[in-house]
Amino acid sequence: MAPAPPRHLLLLLPLLLLAAAPAGADDLVAELQSLRARSPSGVIHLTDTSVTRFLSAPASRRPYSVLLFFDAAALHSKPDLHLPQLRTEFALLAASFHDRNPGSGDLFFADIEFAESQHSFHQFGVNSLPHVRLIRPEHSTLAGSEQMDQSHFGRLADSMAEFVESRTGLEVGPIVRPPLLSRNQIILLGILFLISIPFAIKRVIEGETLLHDRRVWMAGALFVYFFSVSGGMYGIIRHTPMFLTDRSDPDKLVFFYQGSGMQLGAEGFAVGFLYTLVGLMIAGVTHLLVKVESLQTQRFAMMAVIAIGWWAVRKVIFLDNWKTGYSIHTFWPSSWRIWNHPH
Amino acid sequence: MAEPQQPTAVRGSGEGGGGQFRNAVGGVLCAFALLLIGVLAFSIRLFSVIKYESVIHEFDPYFNYRVTQVSLISAERSSAASIFCQRMESFSQKKRKKNGVYEFWNWFDDRTWYPLGRAIGGTVYPGLTLTAGTLWWLLNSLNIPLSVETVCVFTAPIFSANASWATYLLTKEAKGPGAGLMAATILAMVPSYISRSVAGSYDNEAVAIFALIFTFYLYVKTLNTGSLFYATLNALSYFYMVCSWGGYTFIINLIPMHVLLCIVTGRYSSRLYIAYAPLVVLGTLLAALVPVVGFNSVLTSEHFASFLVFIILHVVALVYYIKGLLTPRLFKVAMTFVIKVGLAFCYAVAVILVSLVASSPTKGWSGRSLSLLDPTYASKYIPLIASVSEHQPPTWPSYFMGINVLAFLVPSGIIACFFPLSDASSFLVLYLVTSVYFSGVMVRLMLVLAPAACILSGIALSEAFKVLIRSMKFQRPSSDDDSSTEGDEVSSVPANSMKNQSKTSVKSETVTKEKPSKKNRKMDQDPEGSSPVGPTREQKLLVLPCGPSFVGIMSLIVLCGFYVVHCVWAAAEVYSEPQIVHTYRSPYGLHVFDDFREAYAWLRHNTEVDDKVASWWDYGYQTTAMANRTVIVDNNTWNDTHIATVGTAMSSPEKEAWEIYNSLDVKYVLVVFGGLVGHRSDDINKFLSMVRIGGGVFPNIKEEDYLRDGIYRVDAHGTPKMLNCLIFVETDGTGFDRARGYEIGKKHFKLTHFEEVFTTHNWMVRIYKLKPQKNRVRGKLKLKSRSKTSSTLKSGGKTNPWQ
Repeated sequence: MAPAPPRHLLLLLPLLLLAAAPAGADDLVAELQSLRARSPSGVIHLTDTSVTRFLSAPASRRPYSVLLFFDAAALHSKPDLHLPQLRTEFALLAASFHDRNPGSGDLFFADIEFAESQHSFHQFGVNSLPHVRLIRPEHSTLAGSEQMDQSHFGRLADSMAEFVESRTGLEVGPIVRPPLLSRNQIILLGILFLISIPFAIKRVIEGETLLHDRRVWMAGALFVYFFSVSGGMYGIIRHTPMFLTDRSDPDKLVFFYQGSGMQLGAEGFAVGFLYTLVGLMIAGVTHLLVKVESLQTQRFAMMAVIAIGWWAVRKVIFLDNWKTGYSIHTFWPSSWRIWNHPH
Repeated sequence: MAEPQQPTAVRGSGEGGGGQFRNAVGGVLCAFALLLIGVLAFSIRLFSVIKYESVIHEFDPYFNYRVTQVSLISAERSSAASIFCQRMESFSQKKRKKNGVYEFWNWFDDRTWYPLGRAIGGTVYPGLTLTAGTLWWLLNSLNIPLSVETVCVFTAPIFSANASWATYLLTKEAKGPGAGLMAATILAMVPSYISRSVAGSYDNEAVAIFALIFTFYLYVKTLNTGSLFYATLNALSYFYMVCSWGGYTFIINLIPMHVLLCIVTGRYSSRLYIAYAPLVVLGTLLAALVPVVGFNSVLTSEHFASFLVFIILHVVALVYYIKGLLTPRLFKVAMTFVIKVGLAFCYAVAVILVSLVASSPTKGWSGRSLSLLDPTYASKYIPLIASVSEHQPPTWPSYFMGINVLAFLVPSGIIACFFPLSDASSFLVLYLVTSVYFSGVMVRLMLVLAPAACILSGIALSEAFKVLIRSMKFQRPSSDDDSSTEGDEVSSVPANSMKNQSKTSVKSETVTKEKPSKKNRKMDQDPEGSSPVGPTREQKLLVLPCGPSFVGIMSLIVLCGFYVVHCVWAAAEVYSEPQIVHTYRSPYGLHVFDDFREAYAWLRHNTEVDDKVASWWDYGYQTTAMANRTVIVDNNTWNDTHIATVGTAMSSPEKEAWEIYNSLDVKYVLVVFGGLVGHRSDDINKFLSMVRIGGGVFPNIKEEDYLRDGIYRVDAHGTPKMLNCLIFVETDGTGFDRARGYEIGKKHFKLTHFEEVFTTHNWMVRIYKLKPQKNRVRGKLKLKSRSKTSSTLKSGGKTNPWQ
């Protein structure tokens, strides 16, 4: 009990000092600039203490705006929040801004972590993530600062930049994204590629590459076909999951989605597999099975192929009718009305 | 397929005059079958005419129809109301036609995109228009008086028949006439193609698919024969394709890819050179003649692949030539030398090319092409392209809808193409693989996949039927059963000797089947073209047991039967609706909503010729074609700002909207409301895209203002801004919205700046007139600030200030 108060006191001391002897506006700007210089991306990491110091100060001594990104390391694993991605985009935005306005003292980019600075989260009234706030000089209270709207996350750094430009009047400039490969890597790869060309040509002329094996081409063609008809590209473009969990029963997995506008990954690949399977079986019968000598094997294999084929086609037809809601029917002459579907 | 010498030997020994007779009968049967296929392709597309009427469908076809009218001068004044037609009445029939074409080339359309206008001649693909025009002219000179509209309606079915014949030719080049007939039959009724070519669907794709298949046929034909005649025809056919559709870039990339593939896999031959070089040279020159393509045919990256392959082909040709001249040792020395010098040169060229391409912002590719290469491109950077429903990636049911059971047969066709792999069959596989990939990115390209899927399914079915029917016709002797246990090597010898009788007849059949491909192979000096299966295969009778074969045949027939049922159903129920007339089936019978034509007719008969009509861009083409009035925006969405202006007006309150429209000289506003009859794709439904497009240019329009908790609704929970905007106010009226299934949020308006002048029978189209005077004399300040606009108004009342 006895040694505790002095430690608390010690911790509080700088805070008290700061509060008691407020620094001038220029000092704060200079301090922020040095903090920014120390951070590799140009995003300043704030804590409860520094929030009080830099943001709670009265507006007269705060001539700068701060764009604050609320982060929570615990939530990084949640895929639907996209926190890590937004955080990197935020860093890109900061870097682009600093490229455009080097040494600017008007706008600073900062982030704050939930586990470290719960108090500040309360002060700002932040209870859901992702959350970005712009604190401008005219905002007197922290909670009164402006929240960036969800729609501004939509196109990532570009839309965030639009927000900043419209609210602060500062120019962010084009977002500079680091290329996938650095300049040196590209040059190295280019040189390697150029060197490999003569060897490749030599191999091709000699005709002993993988390219001359028609089985490779066949497998490739079949794979592209399988991938496309299973709507794999849909999954890539729309980022659809392989399956969903049932809302009412979290243990139950939903593999098939009803409604033709959307599909899940697993259902696409399942049907794509059925599409391809039937085709492969027909090809197997016409090209492989005829060469088999044993009549018994032929008979058995053909029966199996026909049975599986019937099952697969019926399954796909059933699934398609279920998913799209179409009911395909025939058209008979009207004099045959007795068998006609009522429609 | 057999090696060339073997069948000749068999034929020489076994067959005589009987074979010729059989060939003749086969030829007649084949021609008759093709005729029937043509009739099938034509008639399956007539459901729209039978169920509805002979009318042009949808939106774009109306524009094409109007262009056709202008490029021709219709003899009947009643149907061709276009003023351009009236202008040129005095010319004689022949002169008219010629003049019409030139007039069309230089035609500046002032009826659309007011006040900007649009130069039509240089911005449309003229193929379709000229085709239908020629057809009409031909029929008229044969004294068959058809209206331009009738010819336009039936252009697509006619060309579907042509396309199925072209499919027959293409497949026949690769796998013989049996597969060809099968493929043609399948193509005649493939739903994905029907969707774009029903009677009345007068759009570019209608003729372009025929041109596509025919170009491929001529390419393969040239590849098989090495004839310069076909090469020239190929270039001309390519020219027709360029005239018809922007999809020609698919051809000019696919053929180079195939050439490159042939070179890389060591299948280079002089035939390949003849098939490709003239196509690039002639084809590019001809393509540059089409105004809408022009210098794009040499300047954009879509075409670079063909030039690069052109260079490579020449290098390879040179290498092969030198190889023929020199001894192998000398050749090796020369090769090392040439490769060193040549590579240095190639690097230099590559660097220049790369820097040229990299200097353009999109790397020289158009957004649409880029989104094909990188599927995620469009969704990231071009929301306008990504938002169009045709550009969505398809899900698996789309394939089942579009190509149905062919999806099951294609893999088998792919494998059949590899046994044996010829130049032609490798081309078919490449065509399938590229098109199936592209269709996976954009559902619209399912149309390009359809012919490939039909061809490969035709091959698969034909191979399967061939094997199964052969199994039923010729059976192995029963002793085979016993010997089979001993293994392949032992059993093959006795089995052979016993089967001699049946073997010869089987072979003679294969000979007749393979005749055309053998003929093509005469020119083939390439050893690679030979069959991969050794002579051992020739020695055996390849059959399956009889019973299961019969079941197999029956199963395949049932499968084909299901395909036919599906296709007829799709043609009749899904794709035949003209979109201009809507039907609705209720327990009391069939209701027909003809509101659109009612509204356009009203506009045509009750407004001044030069009045401007504003509507959302979807209805632009129809308004110009059917009402013959000037519109602000239309379906050719070339000017974003203009569309955004209309979008802003639609999403603004009445007064602001009036000001925007008045500045554009608009006199009438046309809105579409489906709430009363339950028509879903009305303006309320399209409203969010109006807001988005409007907001993209004018930042004061914000999407959030129209959404309640991120949800778009127009019932009592709609946002005030939503419930006050022009489009909502003007579409209002019924109380209960049947299209969206809830009560409308705000009823009983009093319009101050607009007045309702016409509402169609089912309330689907409502036309409003801008009120001219009322708000002119309200206080001096306002009068002063608006004196400018009111002065235009005064003059705009009767005459148009822009003229």
